[in-house]
Amino acid sequence: MLLPDHDFLKPRTLAEGLDALRDAPAGTRPLGGGTDLVFNMRCRLVAPPAVVSLKDLPELQGVAESADGTLRIGAGSRLTDLVADPRITARYPALAAAFRAVASRHVRNLATLGGNLCLDTRCWFTNQTKEWRDAKGPCLKTGVDACHAIQGSSVCVALNNADSPPALIALGATVTLASAAGERTLPLADFYRDDGIRHTVLGPGEILVSVTVPPVTDRLVFRKETARQGMDFAYGTIAVRADGRGERATRLVIVLGSLTTAPRRLVAAEEKLAALGLGEAGLAAAEATVRDALGALTNLYSPAAYKRDLARTLLSKAVTELRELPA
Amino acid sequence: MKKAIITLTVNGDAREVAVSARHTLLDVLRGKLGFMGTKEGCTTGSCGVCTVLNARGEAVLSCLTPALEWDGQAITTIEGLEKNGALAPIQQAFIDYHAVQCGFCTPGVILSAQAVLNATPVPTEDDINDGLAGVICRCTGHIKVKEAVRAVGRANAGDTPVVAKP
Ligand SMILES: Cc1cc2nc3c(=O)[nH]c(=O)nc-3n(C[C@H](O)[C@H](O)[C@H](O)COP(=O)(O)OP(=O)(O)OC[C@H]3O[C@@H](n4cnc5c(N)ncnc54)[C@H](O)[C@@H]3O)c2cc1C
Ligand code: SF4
Repeated sequence: MLLPDHDFLKPRTLAEGLDALRDAPAGTRPLGGGTDLVFNMRCRLVAPPAVVSLKDLPELQGVAESADGTLRIGAGSRLTDLVADPRITARYPALAAAFRAVASRHVRNLATLGGNLCLDTRCWFTNQTKEWRDAKGPCLKTGVDACHAIQGSSVCVALNNADSPPALIALGATVTLASAAGERTLPLADFYRDDGIRHTVLGPGEILVSVTVPPVTDRLVFRKETARQGMDFAYGTIAVRADGRGERATRLVIVLGSLTTAPRRLVAAEEKLAALGLGEAGLAAAEATVRDALGALTNLYSPAAYKRDLARTLLSKAVTELRELPA
Repeated sequence: MKKAIITLTVNGDAREVAVSARHTLLDVLRGKLGFMGTKEGCTTGSCGVCTVLNARGEAVLSCLTPALEWDGQAITTIEGLEKNGALAPIQQAFIDYHAVQCGFCTPGVILSAQAVLNATPVPTEDDINDGLAGVICRCTGHIKVKEAVRAVGRANAGDTPVVAKP
């Protein structure tokens, strides 16, 4: 099936691209590698009037390291190039692992970091063919006031199923956004919203330009649980960052991905582990906080009870891996 | 959107072709240029049978990328692996190791394997697994395919001739 008709714009500079987005009709989408957007257009989930290709914009390319070790990663960088970048693999092997966890090499050879961070939310209902969806009728995301994932829900509870956000949030990454009106920078943690339809803070005509990772010497672990190891969206992911060594840590950041509409930070678990250590006692106390931190869980792949178990298991495996990392 | 003329270099030959925004690279290779070795499977990125190689010799999915993105670029399809009537070593190894069953996924699998060998002429098991994970054979599996890739890897390392199947 051909893609829905649209205008295809290929600006040569960022300024040209931002002007094009400002002047384009409502619903125009930026395009990175297209591995999510072309998929969604093919399934007729979206039919943007125009698409603005950002992939080759020079301002969005590559990794730059400043003297203090800060990394600036352009949003148009391909995941393939990031997986192999020595500045990332040497210092943050867990971040490289998160990039490599995305789909397959075939997809990563096209996909961009910006596209991964802006990946559309996913839902067992909408990620079906148009015929399947039509048989069930539309939902909040496809035009009416009804949700098929949580009956009666007034917000869309589709999931953020992207693999790279948890590790980047744990590292304290910030994102720089730009529109024709100007630029702003904010923590990646604040980029996501608890709404499956407007799931990021991006305004009309605004795009993600770069991601900045501050220098971090803490330990970092990333894990992904999925049906097939080779290539699949995650059932759940986790990133855990901690200072100290062995069982001792005073500061932790724990972020779960793919279980909720926005990546979820587990603050109560962080506090238990900081107070009681990363041994069995601390871990048991931390695991006990997971249920409340997750709240209602509904969408995709598995029942809520499984998701809660999965979150606890991810936490336990990640913390065990972390405390055994060589210093 | 009205059509635009783009230049695509396929298997070394530059071609001009009229495409619209509705076409993916797959639509153009198959429907407009007749490279039918590039298969149309799921068209949503899951199966990998539409794999082609980009100018860097990397495997990409032609079903998920707009044709208009490829103006001025070079692509290799399965038809381009054979040189002057001689099969590429990976093609010969697929024959020697019986790495083909129904054959539908074979062009995508061979190009994926070639991409692994392009990046790592003597690939590790991890290189092979990572490079083949994105393409799926529904008849059998990847055992024979991996034997074929390993054989070319050994030949590249100067160990054994490709055809010497144990
Ligand atoms: C078979 C298959 C398996 C997959 N498995 C995984 C997986 O395991 N893990 C995973 O995380 N993803 C997976 N994906 C989804 C997707 O391939 C990746 O998330 C990929 O990184 C998306 O990047 P892209 O550049 O191709 O995005 P695109 O499709 O180009 O864009 C995705 C979205 O972001 C927007 N966008 C793109 N760039 C920008 C920007 N700079 N600023 C603002 N908005 C932007 C687009 O408008 C679009 O809405 C899979 C996809 C397929 C087809
Ligand atoms: S969570 Fe509900 S509203 Fe959102 S896409 Fe799924 S069915 Fe539609």
